[in-house]
Amino acid sequence: MWRTFAYFINLLLFLICSLIQLQAQDTIPITLKIKIGIEISGPAIHYSDKNILNAEGYISVDLDEKRSVVFAAGYLNYKYNQYNYAYLNKGSFVRLGMDFNLLKPDKSLGKYYTGIGLRYGLSRFTSEVPFFEKTNYWGTTSSYIPKKNYWGHFIEVSPGVRAEIFKNFSMGWSISLRMLLYTGTGKDLKPVYFPGFGDGTKTISAAMNYYIVWNIPYKKIKAIMKKEVPVETDDTNDTGTTDNKQQGSGIRQ
Amino acid sequence: MRKFIPGSLFIIVPVIILLLLSCTAGSCLEETESYLKASFYDNTTKKLLPPDTLTLYGINRDSIIYNQKPKVQPALMPLNSSSQSCIFIIKIKGVADTIEFRYSSYPHFVSKECGYTFYHQLDTALVYSKNFIKGIYISNQTITNLNVENIRIFY
Repeated sequence: MWRTFAYFINLLLFLICSLIQLQAQDTIPITLKIKIGIEISGPAIHYSDKNILNAEGYISVDLDEKRSVVFAAGYLNYKYNQYNYAYLNKGSFVRLGMDFNLLKPDKSLGKYYTGIGLRYGLSRFTSEVPFFEKTNYWGTTSSYIPKKNYWGHFIEVSPGVRAEIFKNFSMGWSISLRMLLYTGTGKDLKPVYFPGFGDGTKTISAAMNYYIVWNIPYKKIKAIMKKEVPVETDDTNDTGTTDNKQQGSGIRQ
Repeated sequence: MRKFIPGSLFIIVPVIILLLLSCTAGSCLEETESYLKASFYDNTTKKLLPPDTLTLYGINRDSIIYNQKPKVQPALMPLNSSSQSCIFIIKIKGVADTIEFRYSSYPHFVSKECGYTFYHQLDTALVYSKNFIKGIYISNQTITNLNVENIRIFY
């Protein structure tokens, strides 16, 4: 009985001490947000090139001052023509992953983001080659590849920046570096371009995205600031005394 | 300085990668023709031996693929994608033989710049006259744009 009581008292003391220590640390108020972003370069490119329409957006939810869960979705309608073939691809995609803000809470303030995103992407598309021609010694052969549905899988790393320009509205960009996992088309009929990934003839594709984001605050938290340990300087000389050593090992309070 | 380097790299490295990945040639540089690659072998020694002169053309075709060309090794024989067989006349040292190939064709994407070609799956190689050619051995049935031997002609 005494043992149980002693254990319980120890646990209580430990919790009280932890709470006091937490309150003694520097904190900064951060507003967690739900963010709804729209990619704006896709419609802009479509305005100048009618053969490609890419529309996409995302929803992200801040888990804390550093991490957000991201869900993105979009649609692609792609047409390509040249002298010996035509190619069509139409479909939609989703990406699911996390954003990691590399800025410290006193720099980000819940408004600024410089970080990196990691995503898994899934694409459902219809690929079609309405005609292609091949000419050789025997003459010209014309053929086509009928419409067929495929699933594409890829992963993505997307470093980027975002900043709040008006209250609850942000703008930013990111570079998306994607690695193809699987297209389902086989090695003979690689997709020229497919939703969410881009150039399906290569294992790696890259793209640049520009976003306008609407931020919806949903929770306020206090982010803990980690105290910085001052960097030791090489000014100490051999004749240094106890004073120098004390300065070097000091921690700023 | 320590703070400057990681921050700059964070922006500069992805931009360089993006620029490198966006570079494309813009013209078709790949091999687009799927030739049947035929190597010539000495029937006695079973060793590679290019013919002194080779003449090759498709039946009912006006143009000639090789016209008394010396030391051809291997011979590149284009197949007709519109048909499931094609016949060649092959002359070694002026002596003619007739060979028929039976195969199936399927499309293969080469690149965005080049478009599509046909690959073939070789079923049969027949020699109708054995004036100079003693036999044919199929070493690889899949005929692609890669430099891989498909048949061996023994003479």
